[in-house]
Parts: sequence; C-alpha cells; structure tokens
Amino acid sequence: MNQELLAKLRNCCRDEAAFEELQQALVHEIHPLRQEVQQANFQVERQKALFHVITRLREPIDLDTIFRATAAEVRQLLGADRVGMFRFYPDSGWDDGEFVSEDVDPDFSSAIAQKVHDHCFGEQFAVHYEQGRVQNVADIYNAGLSDCHIQILSQFQVRANLVVPLLQGRNLWGLLCIHQCRAPRQWQDTEIEFVQQIAEHLAVALHHAELLAELRAEVVERQQAQQRAQEFNQGLQQAIIELKAVNKELEAFSYSVSHDLRAPLRSIDGFSQALLEDCLEQLDATGQDYLRRIRAATQRMGQLIDDLLTLSRVTRSDLRKESVDLSRLASRICIHLQQLYPERPVEFEIQPHLFVHGDARLLQVVLDNLLNNAWKFTTGQTQARIEFGATEAENGTPVYFVRDNGVGFDMVFVNKLFKPFQRLHRMQEFPGNGIGLATVQRIIHRHGGQVWAEGDLNQGATFSFTLAAEEFSP
Amino acid sequence: MNGSAQDRVILLVEDNPDDQALAIRALKRHHIGNEIVIAHDGVEALDYLYGTGAYADRDIKIKPTVVLLDLKLPRIDGLEVLRRIREHDLTKLLPVVVLTTSSEEQDLLKSYSLGCNSYIRKPVDFLQFSEAIRQLGMYWLLMNEPPPV
Repeated sequence: MNQELLAKLRNCCRDEAAFEELQQALVHEIHPLRQEVQQANFQVERQKALFHVITRLREPIDLDTIFRATAAEVRQLLGADRVGMFRFYPDSGWDDGEFVSEDVDPDFSSAIAQKVHDHCFGEQFAVHYEQGRVQNVADIYNAGLSDCHIQILSQFQVRANLVVPLLQGRNLWGLLCIHQCRAPRQWQDTEIEFVQQIAEHLAVALHHAELLAELRAEVVERQQAQQRAQEFNQGLQQAIIELKAVNKELEAFSYSVSHDLRAPLRSIDGFSQALLEDCLEQLDATGQDYLRRIRAATQRMGQLIDDLLTLSRVTRSDLRKESVDLSRLASRICIHLQQLYPERPVEFEIQPHLFVHGDARLLQVVLDNLLNNAWKFTTGQTQARIEFGATEAENGTPVYFVRDNGVGFDMVFVNKLFKPFQRLHRMQEFPGNGIGLATVQRIIHRHGGQVWAEGDLNQGATFSFTLAAEEFSP
Repeated sequence: MNGSAQDRVILLVEDNPDDQALAIRALKRHHIGNEIVIAHDGVEALDYLYGTGAYADRDIKIKPTVVLLDLKLPRIDGLEVLRRIREHDLTKLLPVVVLTTSSEEQDLLKSYSLGCNSYIRKPVDFLQFSEAIRQLGMYWLLMNEPPPV
C-alpha cells in the first residue's frame, strides 16, 4: 500500500489501534479491487492480441508469418517461456510430428524441427483433442503423467504446459502449446479461454491455407493439363506437317501418273489404229482382232488410270462446302444417261428439293457413280426402275439413297463392295474397274458421313449414305 | 495478214516422238497440209519464236498461226514457255493451245492464268485424239481470225 497515504492516515488517527483497524479494512477492500483492475488490464491486452490475430488473418500472408507473430504476441501476453505450433505429420496417426513455429525465451532452447514420436498419443489422446480437449498442467512432475509423456516434455525443458488443439476443418492438424519452463505455473481460466480463442482463429488461418493449397494444386493441375494440351498440339502440328509432306508427295506421284502412264498408252493405241488403217490388207481377221483387243485393253487401262486419279484427287482436294441441291444433280445425271442410251426405257423417281451442305463437285461424283451403277445393273431388266430419295434415321439424321431393281448382289459379299478393285460381276456381264464405290466411300467419309449397301440377288440394291450433321433446307 | 490458210505454220512443241508422229498423222488424216514446225523442248520453241539459237537466221515476223504446246517438256517447261510468250510484245497475242496429258486442276488453272487460248487433254483413244486435232485445225486455221500483226 502507498506509504504516503499510510502516513497521512496515521496523522489523522491518533489512536494506533484505530489506525491498525482502518488499515486492515482498507487492505481488505483494496486487494480485490486491485485484482479486478489486473483482470481488466489482462482483458484489454487479450482483446488487443485477439484483434491483432484476427486482423492478420484478413491479410494475404502465409501461415508461417501468422504463426510466428501470433506466437510472439501470445507469449508476451501470458509471460510464458515458449509458445509453439506443433504439427502432426499427415498420415502418421497422430503419433509423430514436429514444432513448425515458435516464440521462445532466449534462456531456453528452440523446439523447432525436433521430431517428436509419442506412440500412445494417437491412440489415447487424439480423439479427445479432436473434440476440443485442453491439457492444462501446472507441474508436469505432479500431474500423474506417464513417464514417456514426461520424458518428451522434459526434452523441451517444460515444467508447466497448456495445450489446445489446432483444427483444420474437423481434422486435428496440430497443437498450440504454451510452455512454462523456469517454474511450475497455475493456469488461470481467463488464460485458458484466451489460448482457446487464439487456437480457434488459427483454425481459420489453417482452413484458408488448406483452400489456398487446393487452389494451388488446381492451378498446377490446370497448368499441367495446358502443358499436355500444348504438347499434344505440337504433336498434332508435327503430324500435320508430315501429312502435308506426304500429300505433296502423293500429288507429285499422281501428277507423274497422270502424265507418264498415259503417254505410252496413247502410243500403243495410236499405232495399233495406224496399223489397222495402213496395213489392213496384210492382216488376216485374227491379226485385226488382236489389234482391236490391244486397243480395247489400252483404253480400259486409260480409264483405270483416270478413275484412280479421281480417287486420289477425292482424298487430297480441299472440301469446298456450300448448299447443294442433290435432287437437281441426280436429275441431270439421269437425263444424261437417258440421252446416252435412248433405247433403254428406265423409270426414274427422284424426290425433289433435297438440299445438303457439302462439296458440289464431290457429291456429283457420288451420285454419278451410284446412278451409273444403278443404270448398269438394271440392264436387261424389262421394267427398270431407279429411285433417289431420302428417309430419316432413328436419330433424325437424313439418309439419302439410290435404289434400283437390278441384279442386286449377295449380302455375303457386302464388305467387298467398297474396296478398290473388288468386283462382284464378270467383266463381260457388267464392265467396270471396281473403283467407283471406293471413291464414293471416300467422299462420304470426307463429309463426315457413312455409306452402306443393302441388296439381294436379283432383287435390286439400295445404296444409302449420310453426311455430317450440318444439312439444312433453305 | 498471214497469207492463205495453207501458208500458215503450226508450231508443235512436243518432246515425245510418238506423240509428234501421232499428231502429224492426225493432221494429215484430216488433210491439214500446213507446215508443221516441231520444237522438241521449251528452249527450241523460244528459239524459233524469237529467232535465237538454231533459228538465228529466221525472219521472226513470220509467226505461227497457232502454237500446240505440251506442258511437260525438257529444259524449259510448257508453262514457262507460255509465260514468256505472253510477256513478249512480239508474241503476246499469239494463239496458244495447251495440248497435254494432264487434266490436273493446277495445270488447267496455271495455263489459263498465264493466258492460254485453249486447253485440250490428249485422249488415250487415237480416234478421239484424231477428232480433237481435226476440230482444232478447223477452228484455229480456218475459222479463227488471227490477231493483227
């Protein structure tokens, strides 16, 4: 008590006994007041510390910085010797971990990075800590702790400790440990409450860190995906370059075929004809027949080369898509056929206004082949009938078809139809080189569609095709 | 004027001797008796047109009525010959008929871009070829009015 005040009181009371009594009474009154003031001061400091912690949580700083600053503040406020954040190794079952952050009195050693193994912790205590248990020990040697526990604590010179859980979500991430090393210490309820509050706020920081880690992982994953896409793209670019080179080679090859293979044929045909014209008398009927066969074979070969060139051109030429009236194309082809062979009465039925989106020249080749085939394979049919139209597949895709009532084919051989040079009929029956349908298939595939055939021997044939799903009606 | 139809010269630029023979045969078949000058490659063709090389003494004022030009030729190819013909003042109006084996789109496109007057693909069938030559002769030698000198 203030000595000056006591002297004044003594002067006022001439009676020593009365003074003693007065002094007793005052001490009795003042002591609790003092305690209250102390408490209030602690409350104020505590609020300040909490405020600092919360403020820091709002700032975009890393967990290490938050831990370090919080440890320093808590240690200062509590007058403790060490405040440390202990972290369990993930997947260690809470048996192993280490201090990842601390603030420690210079008189005592650092606990950072010292591995701690407590084989009974995970089994016995983790569950309780996970539910918010607080360990509050005034003196580790008088608290009934197990030997191994005491041994671990003494490793860090701990005499009294206060331990609260650090939770990340619902998972026990680690422990917030307050150590008193120089002497035992009775922890006050307000102090315990304060440390719990700090731990709760650190849990927020841990949660943020977790979110941030997830976000970073996602970013990394995205970057990797992007990298993979880029690599894939580069591979694709390379493939395109190679493909272009191959295409160029193919073009050069076709060009040379177009020129060089046909030139000798012209000579063979031309001079055979010259022989027939100039030396007719020297040739008997057999000789003349042979020359005619030579000419016919030469011309077939010429046609074959032309068809092969068409097939290769179909593969390499660019698609120029536009709106195409298939019905009109079909009509023109049929009219042309009828004009070429006016002696054949063929009934045509063409569904009007079938518009598609595609390459007009290539689609012309498709219909040319299909309708010419229909024409060819209905030869000898007394009531030949050729139909062009469209139906709808189950999924709504239009299916275009060319149908005839000609000789048809055995479905056993359906797979051979679209392969180049495959023929189902003898040359004498129906001429052809087996390239037409292969060409049709390539064109349809280039348009993203499918082509197939159905038929029966002597029951006619139907060739159907689809195109990529961009068809529209104008 | 170039004189009468018979005096008109046809310049056939063709390296394949078989094709030369067949072209000449086809012309004869249809009684086209005009003089046929044969150039075996692009260089010879240009020499003839501009009086250089083997044709240094030739009067270049006498121009062929029509040039039948193959595209695939040794030394200077047909497209290059065509390009030079169109570039040169002396020959820029000269009728040039490309007579070739190729029906490749790129050849057609380049030939027309360079200003050929006609493009004919030689058919394998000699009778068709002969017919093409007949029509060609009829058109360019008899019907067509050549450009003024």
